[in-house]
Amino acid sequence: MTVETVRMVGPPVDRVDGPLKVTGAAHYPADFSFPNLAHAVLVQSTVAAGRIRRISTRLAESAPGVLAVITHEIAPRLGRGPTTSLGVAPPPPLQDDRILHHGQHIAVVVAETPEQAAAAVRLLEVDYELTEPLLDLDDPQAERITNPSWRDIHRGDAGAALASAEVRVEATYTTATETNNPLGLFATIAAWEGDTLTVHDTTQWPYNVRATLAAAFGVPEDRVRVIAPFIGGAFGAGLRTWPHVVLAALAARWVNRPVKLVLNRAQMFTSVGYRPSSVQHLKIGATHTGELVALDHESIEPLSLEDNYLEGLTRATPLLYECPNVTTRQRQVRLNVACPTWMRGPGEAPGVYALECILDELAYELNMNPLEVRLRNYAETHPQSGLPWTSKGLRACYEQGAERFGWSRRTAEPRSMREGRMLVGLGMASAYYPYFQFPTQARATLDRAGTALVRSAATDIGTGTYTIMTQVSAEVLGLPIDRVRFELGDTTMPPAPQQGGSNLAASLGSAVHAACMKLVQAFLDVVRDDPGSPVQGCSLEDVTVADGRISRADAPERGEEYTDILERHGLAELTADGESAIRQDLDLAPGIFGAKFAEVHIDPDLGLIRVARIVAAIDGGHILNEKTATSQIIGGTVGGIGMALLEETVSDPRTGRIANATFGDYLVPVNADVPDIEVIFVGEAEPLNPLGVKGVGEIAIVGVAPAIANAVFHATGQRIRSLPITLDQLL
Amino acid sequence: MREFEYVQATDVSQAVAAVTGDPATSYLAGGTTQIDLMKDGVLGPDRLIDITRLPLRGITRSDGAIRIGALTTMEELAADLTIMERLPVVREALLLGASTQLRNMATIGGNLLQRTRCRYFRDITCACNKREPGSGCSALEGFHRMHAILGTSEHCIATHGSDLAVALVALDAIVHVRGLNGERAIPLTEFYVVPGDTPQVENVLAHGELITAVEVLLLPEDARSGYLKVRDRVSYEFALVSAAVALVMEDGVIREGRIGLGGVATLPWRAYRAEEVLRGRPAQTDTFQAAAEAALEGATPHRDNAFKVELAKRTVVRALSTTAGEDS
Repeated sequence: MTVETVRMVGPPVDRVDGPLKVTGAAHYPADFSFPNLAHAVLVQSTVAAGRIRRISTRLAESAPGVLAVITHEIAPRLGRGPTTSLGVAPPPPLQDDRILHHGQHIAVVVAETPEQAAAAVRLLEVDYELTEPLLDLDDPQAERITNPSWRDIHRGDAGAALASAEVRVEATYTTATETNNPLGLFATIAAWEGDTLTVHDTTQWPYNVRATLAAAFGVPEDRVRVIAPFIGGAFGAGLRTWPHVVLAALAARWVNRPVKLVLNRAQMFTSVGYRPSSVQHLKIGATHTGELVALDHESIEPLSLEDNYLEGLTRATPLLYECPNVTTRQRQVRLNVACPTWMRGPGEAPGVYALECILDELAYELNMNPLEVRLRNYAETHPQSGLPWTSKGLRACYEQGAERFGWSRRTAEPRSMREGRMLVGLGMASAYYPYFQFPTQARATLDRAGTALVRSAATDIGTGTYTIMTQVSAEVLGLPIDRVRFELGDTTMPPAPQQGGSNLAASLGSAVHAACMKLVQAFLDVVRDDPGSPVQGCSLEDVTVADGRISRADAPERGEEYTDILERHGLAELTADGESAIRQDLDLAPGIFGAKFAEVHIDPDLGLIRVARIVAAIDGGHILNEKTATSQIIGGTVGGIGMALLEETVSDPRTGRIANATFGDYLVPVNADVPDIEVIFVGEAEPLNPLGVKGVGEIAIVGVAPAIANAVFHATGQRIRSLPITLDQLL
Repeated sequence: MREFEYVQATDVSQAVAAVTGDPATSYLAGGTTQIDLMKDGVLGPDRLIDITRLPLRGITRSDGAIRIGALTTMEELAADLTIMERLPVVREALLLGASTQLRNMATIGGNLLQRTRCRYFRDITCACNKREPGSGCSALEGFHRMHAILGTSEHCIATHGSDLAVALVALDAIVHVRGLNGERAIPLTEFYVVPGDTPQVENVLAHGELITAVEVLLLPEDARSGYLKVRDRVSYEFALVSAAVALVMEDGVIREGRIGLGGVATLPWRAYRAEEVLRGRPAQTDTFQAAAEAALEGATPHRDNAFKVELAKRTVVRALSTTAGEDS
């Protein structure tokens, strides 16, 4: 049996969970409840550095409804979660008196109602012993980390090649701190029964929450159950098991009641990570005809005093173009700040921004079309390993994107295009994101009613996982979509990896595909020696499946329904497990690609920048569902507009307090900021997984900010090298 | 948990008496700012007198003037035909001032009394002279890109957030107020006070005085007016700079001009000096530029908001030239 994936773009099936969401029937973590539920509110440090001399809890403890005030002075020792494919776990909270950043959790108040807990928080008196915080990347006192992951690249001799290059451009780009800011406030509900813990949590990785809580409280992992059928977005903020999750479970154990903890919006800025700011120094050398001879990319980013995270700003630089001499250097500076984390398109969103802007600067220096410069340095093979790509549709992205956008309309000179009073600018950028696939398991069951249930402990952060996995299951099993139910978000289900780095379509899709294939095999196994079955003795290669029937490929009229087999053999159901296995037999390099084209209109007097149009051409391999994939690209593009023009988490320079921790002050694009966005899918099936998918979550945002920044230059002749680009920089 | 008493007022005099007699009692109208401030612990009244059922709602037009009941909603005012036809600057300020949801709740009286959006005022962990006199101004050393460059003091640089008030101050609106001792009328241009060394005092109202109506004289039939709001995102943001302008012209010469500025001052700012510059001069770019220079005289920018001086000048020029019909 072969599953047809000839259509590169799958049908625009409506979200299977759409009706649940729009009727309010989908339960998000904070929507769950338990009898006798108590409520916890976090207390956070109002200073960035020092230690707690004393916390006076007396007033808070005697406030109405208060059940407990837990501080470091009384909190038990907690274990640290395991190191995973994503690195170390955050250190457990309330373990000592040190203050490492503004907004650090220093206590948790538990009360009968959330209002009572919040009111009691204001009654705590905290006496700090202050020390001077490290808040500036240039602070000479701050610890500097060189080559943190030993991934600095030295290919050829970039220094010498730059020195002798015919054309050289050098520039420094900076990007702002951004906060993930999903709409759904992160929430945890924890309920203990003896040593058994049930947790509802906003997470992109239920199994990781399970492992972390088990380690924190020293209980076996199978005593912890984590449930997350729906979460209100995350953009990476839910990849780690943050200290507030541990505190919710601690509070529940402490008061011996189920406890709900919901972060408020301000706490979302300090409790669940953020994209770190960056300073990126780039040098590029080329021939007069535009062939790259050297690239040098150094990145500097802040890091918390403890804990670890690396953005990976230079990761794409050695890979995106053919260039014989490349040097990359990553640097981190430890400061009194909360730990940064993955935010949509981590690494590449800010890293490729810098690379694609300096390439644009080179194009103007050479007086070449920016698209031509990219084509001239097209990497036909993986530039670092020399391996052929598994599949690469970047050339098609350039060609079809440019065609749809009308790139040929662009006049070369900056400030040469106008529409009425407005300056018009056209800009473009390449996009790249690494392909990830992780071990995943899924279980498929088909019952006497002819319906399939397919399960895995993955999450759907709004991307469409429910829908595309239902589609995959239906296609492999040969069932109508409405006969398939896909369930996720529960650690009683087979283990799944994090939903991050765009891996889940490939990882989970492969496991679901395998489980469903094995389920068909299980039916064939049952009838192997059944003379009453038209498919007796058939192997998978001999059959086709459709409409709940399994038939001989060579004689489709000879078949029977799955339910016939179950009935004849007295079986209630059949079940099969499948795993995602990464093909090791291919000596090929994978990658996800795209090209972004942006048109901006700028008021030359007031500096107002409006994005008028964006075309995103995407090589995401096989697209399972045109509608949900297009929505992914549109959403990522909106995030890219925010990154380019609006989003910046600002801290008070003296105190490290976040100065704009509200949705009124931290600006994300509103509908009126979002123009017409056109999405084109190109490319071929990815051979590394049976579905041919690559993943589209991250590639959606990569390249948007540089395309806009390059368009701003084309419109105005002003090269703004600092994101977000705001009107005051253009005055 | 901080508890408070909630009372629904049925009579204006009783409501005024109840609030005047108790410093811990406040009025509650649309509540679009006040409830937020209570949740954040910035305000903590013991008792709220809900005035939304008092007969202070509705718009009446008399000869040459329009009287707006204080409890008229922003949306109702924006939809009023006289406002549409004769005072477009008011309508534009209302529509650019808040989302539909807020406009349906927020009242005109409440809009005039809204509190600043300064994050340091709204975060009780920060020092703020407006919230806690004498505690200091965190905004001066903190992040103050949104803050004021006109009417500031060393004690406070918070901007007044109202768009509507900027338009009304340019139109010489009159605020009608009821107190224990009867009614009084206050020109809006004299209603607000600069922070000086008492930034906690924002207007001339005594505690318990209730705004009952706002009266606006209509502009001459041939006047033009408009509101320009400049901000980082297209919608749902307070102004970096805004300008409310009105022009009465004759044969290309400005007989009278009005300019109000928002987003740049500690109160809805009336640019009298700029208006003088306009009077009797031709409606053309150099006139508008001269007015803009005059409007920003004496501005005191700080580290993060220095750009507002130039941006405000350009905004004034654009608002004037657009309103004069000099360009599209």
